[in-house]
Amino acid sequence: MRLFTFQRAAEVSEAIAAAPGAAFLAGGTNLVDLMKIEVLNPERVLDISRLQLREIAVRDGGLQIGALASNTAVAEHEEVRRRAPALSEALLSGASPQLRNSATVGGNLMQRTRCAYYRDLATRCNKRQPGTGCDAIGGWTRMHAILGTSESCIAAHPSDMCVALYALDAAVRVRGPSGERELPVSDLHLLPGDHPEMEFALGPSDLIVSVRVPLNDLAARSRYVKVRDRQSYAFALASCAAAVQAPGGVVRLARFALGGVGTKPWRVPQAESWMQGRPASRETFTRAAEMALQGARPQRDNAFKVELAKRTAVRALMLSAGAQA
Amino acid sequence: MELPRGPCLLAFCASQPRLEEAFRAELRGLGAPLLALWPSGGILLGADDEPIQVPPQPELWRLHGAGSAALTAVLLDDRHRVRLRREAPEAEATLLAAVREAGRAVRSAPRGVGRRELLVNSLAVALGIAVLQACASSRPRLATGVASAGPGVIDVNLIVNGEKRTLSVEPRVVLLDALRENLGLTGAKKGCDMGQCGACTVLVEGQRVNSCLKLVAQLEGASVTTIEGLARGAELHPMQQAFLDEDALQCGYCTPGQILSAVALLQEGKPADDDEIRERMSGNLCRCGAYPNILAAIKSVAGMGH
Repeated sequence: MRLFTFQRAAEVSEAIAAAPGAAFLAGGTNLVDLMKIEVLNPERVLDISRLQLREIAVRDGGLQIGALASNTAVAEHEEVRRRAPALSEALLSGASPQLRNSATVGGNLMQRTRCAYYRDLATRCNKRQPGTGCDAIGGWTRMHAILGTSESCIAAHPSDMCVALYALDAAVRVRGPSGERELPVSDLHLLPGDHPEMEFALGPSDLIVSVRVPLNDLAARSRYVKVRDRQSYAFALASCAAAVQAPGGVVRLARFALGGVGTKPWRVPQAESWMQGRPASRETFTRAAEMALQGARPQRDNAFKVELAKRTAVRALMLSAGAQA
Repeated sequence: MELPRGPCLLAFCASQPRLEEAFRAELRGLGAPLLALWPSGGILLGADDEPIQVPPQPELWRLHGAGSAALTAVLLDDRHRVRLRREAPEAEATLLAAVREAGRAVRSAPRGVGRRELLVNSLAVALGIAVLQACASSRPRLATGVASAGPGVIDVNLIVNGEKRTLSVEPRVVLLDALRENLGLTGAKKGCDMGQCGACTVLVEGQRVNSCLKLVAQLEGASVTTIEGLARGAELHPMQQAFLDEDALQCGYCTPGQILSAVALLQEGKPADDDEIRERMSGNLCRCGAYPNILAAIKSVAGMGH
């Protein structure tokens, strides 16, 4: 790890004032890892872990989660488990208990890709070093994305939590020098395009302070299904957070987001609205999953993900709808 | 000047304190006078009377060795003996907390207890606690803005296995390396060094974490438990004993991490079945494949039988 100056902020305003040029450090599970392998080399590290941003509360019909709440705290929170189960299931399906104790919601939103080429300084990577090229394309691509890719980058988004937050229509609250603003979580992550190094719709002084999850009947029915190479402690090959309301066996409202397959969590609103008014059946869900996977561009080693993602989505939708599998 | 009769609290303040009406109300409820002094003057707040301005009292400052601390508080008893003398980094809130807590204790005391003695004792305890809290809450607020340190060596205070230790490390040093290299606690093992194998698992503030991904600089004041801190003297922790009894290891390299993870697992909640134990232990890899016996050891401590 390279040398850096360590700073600690006691107040959110202090953190924002000192932010430009520094890396925010919370749980460290992602940043310290990437600093050790010298993929990220901040000259200043700004410890924000002592800021008062840990609260998890139900407020105004929504779940408000402080950015420094740990993955464990959120996953095990009674209101989360009962009223937004996909969020709890997604968090518990990710990492290990040790990592979940340290990892935070804000850090999870900012989690970097696990693309092996991004993490390997001996290879070319447009995300790590803009304009140098991408050795993943044409390389070993079993874990890579099939949706939202570009000629510059095919790195998959690694987070489970974000997939659930996308399906739950969560919003991210950000504080910067000019005050607070809220953006839909789906606007936080950028597609790689020609600039895969630009990953977030955030300014250099912006700090994520909380996440808001609307609580409603749909959220209470949400489920998360994850498929991976091992049964536990592995990143997703494909995953899906789904929420379906189908009184009398007819879909009234449905949402789903896919993980493990996109350069960001993948949601296709047309596929969701298409299900409305149709029977909550395997046929309906299969067709919707096919619509969501339209435009998938597999690489050499991951053509299987197209079918796998469809089946994962159908399974999650069936689970949420309470339909017979 | 002549001090009021009976127990009395002296407060030497670096600058004139703002003692609001709320403070005076607490003082009246307590029934003890306060003489607050600052370099250019002072004020005597009696339990019942109106405040009395007093001139500077250099001889009292000298007598009690009051200097540049924001607050030097001296508690005098019935016969004006010094019962407690404490310095604090903040004056107003410290005094208010002390007087408020002492008042609460005095009001809730049973009848028949010597009132003046009770008053002095309550004030002594409350003042001590208020000063401790003032010191604790003032520490992270170094100057204004953010506190900066490094990239050279910095000092970090930890409580390791119940003992206070000061580590001198660069900010880039992770807990695992500091434990092994600086403190000689080699129980925590370096496996993958990237948060994937769990061999470095230790407890920080009672929670299991990967020590290879924790910067020491972030942990000021934290308490850390390693495998070396589990046994009580010659008596092994039940989980250590169970790992021996069940032969839950072969090469032993992952074992300290496995044991600490297992201890934390049971503290987090009793598992329902074998599968739940396996899932909740998934952050600790064992290349020898001692998993069946690790499972048996955890079940025996959890009282889940075989």
